[in-house]
Amino acid sequence: MDLPGPIHYILVALLGSVLILGGLGVVLLTNPIYSAFSLGLVLVCISLFYIPSNSFFVAAAQLLIYVGAVNVLIIFAVMFMNGSEYSNDSYFWTIGDGVTSLICTSILFSLITTIPDTSWYGIIWTTRSNQIIEQDLISNVQQIGIHLSTDFYLPFELISIILLVSLIGAITMARQ
Amino acid sequence: MMFEHVLFLSVCLFSIGLYGLITSRNMVRALMCLELILNSVNINLVTFSDIFDSRQLKGNIFSIFIIAVAAAEAAIGLAIVSSIHRNRKSTRINQSNLLNN
Repeated sequence: MDLPGPIHYILVALLGSVLILGGLGVVLLTNPIYSAFSLGLVLVCISLFYIPSNSFFVAAAQLLIYVGAVNVLIIFAVMFMNGSEYSNDSYFWTIGDGVTSLICTSILFSLITTIPDTSWYGIIWTTRSNQIIEQDLISNVQQIGIHLSTDFYLPFELISIILLVSLIGAITMARQ
Repeated sequence: MMFEHVLFLSVCLFSIGLYGLITSRNMVRALMCLELILNSVNINLVTFSDIFDSRQLKGNIFSIFIIAVAAAEAAIGLAIVSSIHRNRKSTRINQSNLLNN
């Protein structure tokens, strides 16, 4: 959907601030159950992010799979393994944490200085020029379905085999 | 441009996830930070698919594949963590040396 400019800007700023605060909460909160709920907040905000960029199917799949399956599984695992070790899990600031934060901020700033230097408009112009101008009467979801059943048919079957193998592996690893 | 701001957010989320993945002492928290990294990759894929490839939407298909692989990874990882917790009564990363002896 094509929102007007100021509404889109306010939406991106609001969702981005919530997303960065939630990500910091995942890392820095001491109790793992709080960080699991913070991860859920981050995943919901990411799925709301996909809606202004015309990707409704990925937004619905993110909301169903990540929030509905993965996050619930993580919360179950945290509650299942909630022993006495979490209560005295005090956060020591060691020298490795300092080195790691230095490295991560250097990666962050190098990527942030790389992004405006890239000429995105040239790439947009070259990709727009050789695209076939066709009438987009079919929606995005139908387009994804057509691609999954023609071009990406072999990866689609492979992903189903991977899901089956991981299901059997998780059951045999957890029940012994 | 709005699209670069989304890329900045994705970079911030990626570096937060990387820091948490290296410094966390709890295995479940390390898995959560791995989910953060995969989600930042997904944001990049969906944004580039909307900007550059709005006819064919291949970035959306790759992000669906990444979501499926991340779901399988979370299931396997949490099964391994629960198995280690049953043997060692602990989920600390530095105490999981079962392959050591």
